[in-house]
Amino acid sequence: MKPAKFDYIAPSTVDLAIEALVASNGEGKVLAGGQSLLPLLNFRMARPSILVDLNRIEGLSYIEDREDRIAIGALTRHRDLEHSPLVAARLPVMSAAMRHVAHLAIRNRGTIGGSLSHADPAAELPMLAMFYDASIAVRGPKGLRTIAAEDFFVDALTNCLEPDEIVVEVEFPVLDHDGWAFEEVARRFGDFALASIALSVRRTETKLEGARIAVMGVADTPLRLREAEQELVALPLDAQLPERFSEIVASKVSPNDDLHASGEYRTHLLKQLSKRALRTALEAGERTA
Amino acid sequence: MNSDRPANRSDVLRPKNVGAPIRRTEDPRLLTGSGEYTADRMPDRPLHLAFLRSGQPHAKITRIDTTAASEAAGVVAVLTAEEIVDDFKPVIPFSRMANYYATPILPLASGKVRYVGEAIAAIVATSRYLAEDALELIEVDYEPLKPIARAELAVAEDAPLLHEEAGTNVLIAREFKKGDVGKDMAAAAVRVGGRFEMTRKAPLAMEPRSYTAEYEKRRDALTLYTSSNIPGIIRDAISESLSLPGHRLRVVAPDVGGSFGSKGSLYPEELLICIAARRLRRSIKWTADRLEDISSSSQAFSEIVDAEMGFDANGTATTLQADVIGDVGAFSIYPWTCGLEPVQVVSFLPGPYKIQSYRGAVRGVATCKPPTGPYRGVGRPVSTFVCERLMDMGAKALGIDPLEIRRRNLVRAEEFPYRIASGIIWDKTGFIECLDAAAEAAGYVQLRKHQAHARESGRLFGIGIASYAELTGIGSRIAVAPGMPINTGSETAKITIDSTGAITAAFGVASHGQGLETTLGQIIADDLGARFEDIRVVQGDSDEVPMSTGTYASRSAVLGGGAAKHASAILQAKLRRVASHLLEASTEDLEVTDGKVAVLGTDRSVTFKQIAKAVYSDMKTLPVDAREELTATYTYDPINGTTAAATHIAAVEIDPATCFVKIHKFVVAEDCGRIINPMIVDGQVHGGVAQGIGAALFEELIYDDDGQLLSASLVDYVIPSAPEVPLMDVVHVESESAVAGGFRGMGEGGTIGAPAAIANAIADALSPFDIDVSILPMTPERIFRLIQNAKLKAKEKS
Ligand SMILES: Cc1cc2nc3c(=O)[nH]c(=O)nc-3n(C[C@H](O)[C@H](O)[C@H](O)COP(=O)(O)OP(=O)(O)OC[C@H]3O[C@@H](n4cnc5c(N)ncnc54)[C@H](O)[C@@H]3O)c2cc1C
Repeated sequence: MKPAKFDYIAPSTVDLAIEALVASNGEGKVLAGGQSLLPLLNFRMARPSILVDLNRIEGLSYIEDREDRIAIGALTRHRDLEHSPLVAARLPVMSAAMRHVAHLAIRNRGTIGGSLSHADPAAELPMLAMFYDASIAVRGPKGLRTIAAEDFFVDALTNCLEPDEIVVEVEFPVLDHDGWAFEEVARRFGDFALASIALSVRRTETKLEGARIAVMGVADTPLRLREAEQELVALPLDAQLPERFSEIVASKVSPNDDLHASGEYRTHLLKQLSKRALRTALEAGERTA
Repeated sequence: MNSDRPANRSDVLRPKNVGAPIRRTEDPRLLTGSGEYTADRMPDRPLHLAFLRSGQPHAKITRIDTTAASEAAGVVAVLTAEEIVDDFKPVIPFSRMANYYATPILPLASGKVRYVGEAIAAIVATSRYLAEDALELIEVDYEPLKPIARAELAVAEDAPLLHEEAGTNVLIAREFKKGDVGKDMAAAAVRVGGRFEMTRKAPLAMEPRSYTAEYEKRRDALTLYTSSNIPGIIRDAISESLSLPGHRLRVVAPDVGGSFGSKGSLYPEELLICIAARRLRRSIKWTADRLEDISSSSQAFSEIVDAEMGFDANGTATTLQADVIGDVGAFSIYPWTCGLEPVQVVSFLPGPYKIQSYRGAVRGVATCKPPTGPYRGVGRPVSTFVCERLMDMGAKALGIDPLEIRRRNLVRAEEFPYRIASGIIWDKTGFIECLDAAAEAAGYVQLRKHQAHARESGRLFGIGIASYAELTGIGSRIAVAPGMPINTGSETAKITIDSTGAITAAFGVASHGQGLETTLGQIIADDLGARFEDIRVVQGDSDEVPMSTGTYASRSAVLGGGAAKHASAILQAKLRRVASHLLEASTEDLEVTDGKVAVLGTDRSVTFKQIAKAVYSDMKTLPVDAREELTATYTYDPINGTTAAATHIAAVEIDPATCFVKIHKFVVAEDCGRIINPMIVDGQVHGGVAQGIGAALFEELIYDDDGQLLSASLVDYVIPSAPEVPLMDVVHVESESAVAGGFRGMGEGGTIGAPAAIANAIADALSPFDIDVSILPMTPERIFRLIQNAKLKAKEKS
């Protein structure tokens, strides 16, 4: 379990990093926290010709308040997001989700750019990017472009980046909501999710005015359930709502069987979590409404 | 030389060390990174090994081309079976058992591969990186054969054969019989039964298997550093296989990071590294990576048990029958054979109960998987799971409380020694005492009330009990593995006081985490009259210690401890004789404590150091014939060994939304005889129960129908981590055994009781659905399926 031979470079600017990627003719790979990449190297499932280490580049790690958006530098560690008062105040769903990301040692190293790029279908940050409609700023030899989260995740462990592009920043819109919830089931604390849902609602005393739903662990990518959002808002706000909502959510997914869980069990979990999440979000909303 | 008589309880008047929670001598070095594990060895310019392993479950090897690999950067040698054929004799895991076929152990696959992960070729290179690079250049052509992935299918007449020479896939078959089971079943008021299964498990020691072979040119000699828990057996086996006499083959087990049985057999890699070092006249290192450790170290369980138990109307279990199929993997292991685990299942199945008639049949079946081998508890986790499930099923059918039904069936104090239906003899142990102590500690009556409340509000709350007994510290009258020709019945201690007064105690029993350096030191301190901190315990080095088979089967405290007591007594007598000269007092008037010999009732004394000076370094003080070397060696054989027993009680709750099991309470009441170090005993129980929780709820090596391992990393092979292990309550019932010191073995019990207790608790929690638990681990997925099916059935009915 030793990696195949590779070259290594630790450039001091994004431009130099892109240059190195271009020079590698698509054979190079970016190294951020290394928490996902290094196991792949050790199993020889990834065999880059060169590793371009981003960790020496200044100015890629920040959490910035831009009024209606929070901007996060690609090299920001999971642990910084977990403990940021700004994130807690302005992106509460993200703040609640971060402690579910792996274990302390991994959160110390793992980065948001790495997590999004790795595109694990059961990872929290990709799901949050979908939930918040984040925009992902990417730099490559042709300059800067911005990709909507919805376009970024192509398949399990596959993003839409060109091999010489680097994620530099992720912007999360600050949401307007009356209640929210984040629910997750993992086999052990810190494991990848078997199923998870992020949810927020806007409501009056008598009815729902808006909803946002994202789920993960139940498809090859995290999903934003826009249809379910509309169906939920159309339903009467009564005691049956959580149950009916959970049916709606379950009807939108058809997870495959794998080693960790059958599709049927994942669907069951998601249903249970949906119920729980909506109750929590409505209760919080009731207090503020 | 041997002694089977009960140790004189008053042989140590005021034990200061035995019974005290002394901090482990090992810990300062292990916790500060100053330990020395095999991989820490730094021989002169070592070479590194890497193995090419089969990706095929079952295939003929038609061609191996190593040309390109041999020419790769850093490669010193590429070895294949053909290349090394003259360098060794195959090792045969011999046994006198009837109906047993001993598959030979070869360092590299020859002609055919039999499981995914079997080593086919080895590369020796200047670094592990380069060795692994070169692995990719070896070309192997296979002619695929039908994989044999399921033991139940492998017993069919027309199944493909894994070992053609054996003529069958059934490598071992055996039957135990007592009384007339047919008649007793017919007469039973209630019969319960089912098909039980414990899936395949990885022992998963924190330190993977690791070997360093150090070549000494000067003497054409080898030192093998090995992460083994049986270094003595390894030394003898390799000596025989390589025709290398013991004084040119030293085997050392330095600090070893756990075994749980996975380091308790001879491995092909262990042979290969010695062959390679000798051939190349160079030192060579190899440490398994986690993938290799999971996919090539011996595995556990993998048994299917069809069992039935009959009860009379009073709840007395009268009869028991079982057919066991053990999926033993591709090879028999040395020295224990492939019979070790499955045969123990049938021999322990009647457990601590007075069941009168019994039939237990077992078949150990070869499949395309790594061999199974010893695993903490050997056979008894499975036998206890089955027997204790049957007890609970009987209790339920008869409407008797599970605690009460056990009380009615356990062997009682006045009935020891008791021969159970499979032939095992239990000596006097606190069976009932453990049951009662566990019930009391768990607050059993209160717990049942709590459960009734919880049920009323629809909660799935369950309580499970498991009682078991095991043989520990087995002496020469019983073979540890059936029919095995190795002396597992005795152990030797050699205690020496050198010319500086320092005490060195050499034991063959090795240590791989048990804290034997501490506990054996405690025994010697008391029995010799020494200060604990003055004693150095040496283990696991064939040049330094007496011949030994190692640490396994909960034997080392009993056998090593017994040897320590006797050797200490002999050495103390020598000290007294010298001291009586020096102090001009009669030996009876002397007292030996704290490293000094004193004349009773006076302030006159001599230290061990003064005694040593007088014996070794002084020509005047003592007469010549009184200058006896201050050393004593004693070989202790407990002949029968001793029983250890425990009752575990678990209270669990299942979350119907997630189907996760939460353990609210876990109580162990165990009888390990006289406790040497309560802190170590508790630690052993905690660790064992944690592993038992793994077996009950999490851990499963999943092989698909093609023999491919699907859960080959720690992402997919899920083990309990700290949050999944609850606080436990451990109660000690210290009934002294009849062996020297009154000890009983206790290293394995946690793993034996926990799976059964948790299984029973889950079944109890799910009883509103009328669900029986018959397979472990009970993963959330399995619980989900059970509940879904039960709901479906209920719907169909209504
Ligand atoms: C035991 C364990 C448990 C885990 N559990 C969880 C969990 O529960 N939830 C969860 O979300 N994650 C989990 N992770 C993954 C962890 O969060 C990783 O840190 C994360 O997925 C990857 O981030 P990284 O910075 O380490 O990326 P790296 O490992 O350095 O890189 C991952 C991939 O992204 C690419 N990459 C990295 N940065 C960029 C960039 N800026 N632009 C373009 N490409 C880039 C790399 O080339 C590589 O292909 C776990 C990891 C481990 C080891």
